[in-house]
Amino acid sequence: MSDPVISLRGLSKRFGPVWANREVDLDLFPGRVHALLGENGAGKSTLMSILAGRYGADKGTLMMHGQEVTFSSPAKALDHGIGMVYQRFMLIESMSVADNLALTVGKKYGRRGVDYEIRQTAEQYGLAVDPEKRIFELSMGERQRVEIIKLLMLDAEVLIFDEPTSVLTPPEVDALFVIIDRLRGEGKTIVLITHKLEEVLKLADDISIMRKGRLIISEPIDARQMSRQQLARLMVGRDVVLRVDKKEVALGETVLALDGFSGDSPSGGPSFNEVTFEIRKGEIFSIIGVAGNGQTGLVSAIAGLSRAGAGTITFDGTSYTAREWAMASAAEIAYVPEDRYQSGSIGSMSIAENFGLTRLQAYRSGLAGLLLDREKMAADGRRAIGEHNIKVESSEASAGSLSGGNLQKVILARELTRKAKLFIAEQPTQGLDISATEDIWQALLECREKAGVLLVTGDLKEVLSLSDRIGVIFNGRILEIIDAHDSDRVDRVGLLMAGVRS
Amino acid sequence: MIEDLTFIAQISIKSSVAVLLATVGGIITERSGVLNLGIEGMMLVGALAGFAAGHFTQSPVVAVAAGTMAGGALSLVHAFFTIALRSNQVLSGLALTILGTGLANFLGRPLIGQTGVRIRQLPIPYLSDIPVIGEVFFNQSPFAYAAYLLVPLAWFVLFRTRTGLVLRAVGEDARSADVAGVNVELTRTLSVFVGGLFAGLAGTYLSLSYTPGWKETMTGGQGWIAIAMIIFCTWNPLLAFFGALLFGGLTALQFFFQATSMDLIPSYVLKMLPYLLTIGVLVLVSASSRHRKSASPADLGVPFYREL
Amino acid sequence: MIRVAKRKQPLRYQGAVATFSAVAIALVVGCVIFAALGVNPLTAYTAMGKGVLSSVDAFSEVLVKATPLIFTGLAVATAATMMLWNIGAEGQLVWGGIFAAGTALFLFPGLDGWLLIPLVLAASALGGMVWSLIPALLRAKLRVNEILTTLLLNYVAIIYMEHLFYGPWRDPAGYGFPGTAQIPEAAQLVRFAGTRISIGFPLALLCAVFLYYLLKKSIWGYQVQVIGKEQRAAHYAGFNVTGKILTVMALSGAFAGLAGMTEVCGIHYRLQTGLAVGYGYDGIIVAWLAGLNPLAVPFAAILLGALFVGGEQLQSVLGLPSSISLILEGALLFGLFAGQTLARYTLTFSSRSEVPS
Repeated sequence: MSDPVISLRGLSKRFGPVWANREVDLDLFPGRVHALLGENGAGKSTLMSILAGRYGADKGTLMMHGQEVTFSSPAKALDHGIGMVYQRFMLIESMSVADNLALTVGKKYGRRGVDYEIRQTAEQYGLAVDPEKRIFELSMGERQRVEIIKLLMLDAEVLIFDEPTSVLTPPEVDALFVIIDRLRGEGKTIVLITHKLEEVLKLADDISIMRKGRLIISEPIDARQMSRQQLARLMVGRDVVLRVDKKEVALGETVLALDGFSGDSPSGGPSFNEVTFEIRKGEIFSIIGVAGNGQTGLVSAIAGLSRAGAGTITFDGTSYTAREWAMASAAEIAYVPEDRYQSGSIGSMSIAENFGLTRLQAYRSGLAGLLLDREKMAADGRRAIGEHNIKVESSEASAGSLSGGNLQKVILARELTRKAKLFIAEQPTQGLDISATEDIWQALLECREKAGVLLVTGDLKEVLSLSDRIGVIFNGRILEIIDAHDSDRVDRVGLLMAGVRS
Repeated sequence: MIEDLTFIAQISIKSSVAVLLATVGGIITERSGVLNLGIEGMMLVGALAGFAAGHFTQSPVVAVAAGTMAGGALSLVHAFFTIALRSNQVLSGLALTILGTGLANFLGRPLIGQTGVRIRQLPIPYLSDIPVIGEVFFNQSPFAYAAYLLVPLAWFVLFRTRTGLVLRAVGEDARSADVAGVNVELTRTLSVFVGGLFAGLAGTYLSLSYTPGWKETMTGGQGWIAIAMIIFCTWNPLLAFFGALLFGGLTALQFFFQATSMDLIPSYVLKMLPYLLTIGVLVLVSASSRHRKSASPADLGVPFYREL
Repeated sequence: MIRVAKRKQPLRYQGAVATFSAVAIALVVGCVIFAALGVNPLTAYTAMGKGVLSSVDAFSEVLVKATPLIFTGLAVATAATMMLWNIGAEGQLVWGGIFAAGTALFLFPGLDGWLLIPLVLAASALGGMVWSLIPALLRAKLRVNEILTTLLLNYVAIIYMEHLFYGPWRDPAGYGFPGTAQIPEAAQLVRFAGTRISIGFPLALLCAVFLYYLLKKSIWGYQVQVIGKEQRAAHYAGFNVTGKILTVMALSGAFAGLAGMTEVCGIHYRLQTGLAVGYGYDGIIVAWLAGLNPLAVPFAAILLGALFVGGEQLQSVLGLPSSISLILEGALLFGLFAGQTLARYTLTFSSRSEVPS
């Protein structure tokens, strides 16, 4: 093999107390596709962001063509020929492809030159795109091509793709693979950040797996005849399951049943398809998947915040079509959302006031129920602080001043007091420390004594510790529902998360 | 009949110049994503500065330069607060109008009723002899001729040059423009300044040519009309010509009806029309903005933060 | 490159910092202007102060000016609590005046005061409310930005009012002076002790207290505050935002309408020029100076009123144009911005941005 284009040695990066990357050594070779795998938070995006000039490393060296280099900005990295195609495209929607590209490379070529160069580049690399079309008229796949053309026009040698297929339809995915193959043929160095094993096995020449900031393995893919199972296991790891007190709870009636539930995500993210499952009182049913596989849209539709397109949902015995469900007035569903700072709570209001957010009915008082019973809210707040061990002076403290863990406890306490039949918890322990996590887990386990719990998360440890049944979501579908007592559940879940069906 | 129409048309153009200039300047500013409601204040300041400079130096060139620069200078206050300090653009613009009105009225008190330099109508040889059209278009103040040139120039720069592309990019999606290497703050500051220059020029027209003279409330709300006009002509300088002409035409009709005691359309309805029509356009623009064809610059009014 | 970063926690007492900075910058700007004109700033400010505090009569004028400002300040503050911009308080005030005059002159001219005045009050609130509901509906149903619609409607309102009192409502015995006939005595608000202060002032204070308790104690108020502070949370909680837009703007318009009524029935006693003098726009300044707190609105209104009266005093005593008040008003608001920025953000100079994702 020829010399590496890029070499990272001992690269480390921290954000606050957390080391996102630790002592990473990596080589990238020209004319090869290097897949970088790992689950959420493994450190892949951070590592590549350093390479692309977005962040600076705290320790270690970065070498290009044998010379040590540092990039103070993405523009500098581009000057050296390293560019990244992000998940969120940086394109101006109302302007044309040509205008967008003229913005970045216009100075080099002049306006007429830009049009010519676009066509040349598109032809050379097989990237069909109409320069006069406006960005909002293009599909995701076409927009991605524009981003690729942008990098190529800036003479990028190294192209990094961050989860490129997360926004593409299957035919667009195939088209992308053809393009990447072409780029490889032209001698470019490609890095593919992904969690989807099938893609890796189809495209990659070399594979690196990251876990908790470290590079676990980095080799050419055929060097060690690895099975899918082995790869998946490496990605997910065999973590020690935290001890939780899980006492037996009898199963009750079915609280929620979905049948063929399909729809889009409210903000245009990935959709979910043909989701079918049941949740009964007394159990915790988890949906696990890597972020961006349709969970957000699914939860939003179940919680009634957005409208699903098709399917039926049965709640507490009554069936609704997707449309009827969206219009049904607030069914008693408790929901702890992923976005605890902007959706789940109001930072500038006090803890007591936050208690009213989803429980207004309980605080109506005075004539015609028009007044707000603030004393009761404050009392409930104080009780929650006591019961859940929240470290704060009073219920008048502002929610914004609380730590992540304490804030989540407040939100959880509030939702628990709603005494709902269905309790949805979305990424409930994301970003929390161990003790807060354990407290929340305990609360969820207790919650199931009175309700059915839907836990949506990307944290495998959480799922394994709490669930009775596990549904793995990938590309918008629930691939399989696994019983928590299965002995090989860890492997199966890990594989399914990477899109590998057994 | 023809004389009447010609007369109305000529007055229409005359009455449209100030709004036209202010609107074009405002379009440039808003295209970069900054809302500047202070146009009325900048026009007044420009009117006073131009008049005062003319009064003291008796030089038309100095007067025009002073008026124009005064508008630009005041606009920089708005630029500082909204761009550097990320203050709310609506409030800053309103404060700018109040400040500008106050400054102009305050400093201009001694000049009320004084004479300054007067820039008269200047018929263009040959062109002004063309029947009807010549009288209407080519027997106007030099400011009008300047407007004839500045309007297509503004359109050209906005839509056919790289400068215009950068400016519009900043107004549509400042984040993407920033990532592409554009200096968002500088671009916006310059566009606000240019808008201020146009507003100052518009005010100078009023005090040196149209009225002429200085009195408080000289601009008579034309700054606010300009703000409405920007939307009415969907941020397109060429359409601004017609929009301003519409306003000028309504004004001319008012004069005409008053002078001849005709009352075809009640004058209060005529006065209301520019505002009502603009609201109508706003509704249409909002309704069609899903198709993003003629919507406002997407980032208009949104302060730019590089970190959130 | 100036880099602006949000402080983790805004400075304590950020309201006080902002107000202090506002007043400080206004004073400085005033000094500069006075000095530039060769006037001793101290003399000027003393003259203004004297104009305001020298006698009960003088101070009463401050309260007279403050009355409409309290109403328009409340109007703007109500809307702003839910992040709605009511720039149309001026036009709503005008319609309040139109409805007030119309009710008193044409609808119920013969009624006794104790019947007529409540009717006039209700009518003026209704007038303002109707005018504010137009942009509210456009915003709620068609997502039309209310900043421009409220602003444009101001002009329509003023034009129509002028049409009315120059035309169909013109006082037949008016000697050519544009305006309606004087409203019947029964509709004229009682004035206190030889000053021009009418019951409009205590009514305004009552409204301020009312708004405060409405926001603090009612379910409606709670929801409005949530929507204003965190739209996403309101969506999560399933609040009816559309309905709130309409009710908030209606209340806002009603307050502004009341301002029109107190001017027509308490000061001018007729509908005439001099009604639309900018109180609606000043209300925006008042609301912001008060930090959108209804209880602080009267104080901000009195401050601004003092500024205006002081300015008039400057004119009669020192011969300086009273428009100095406008300059100081503008400076106050800019000073407020500077103070707010200081309280909420840190400004640093750096060359690179590092944002952990």
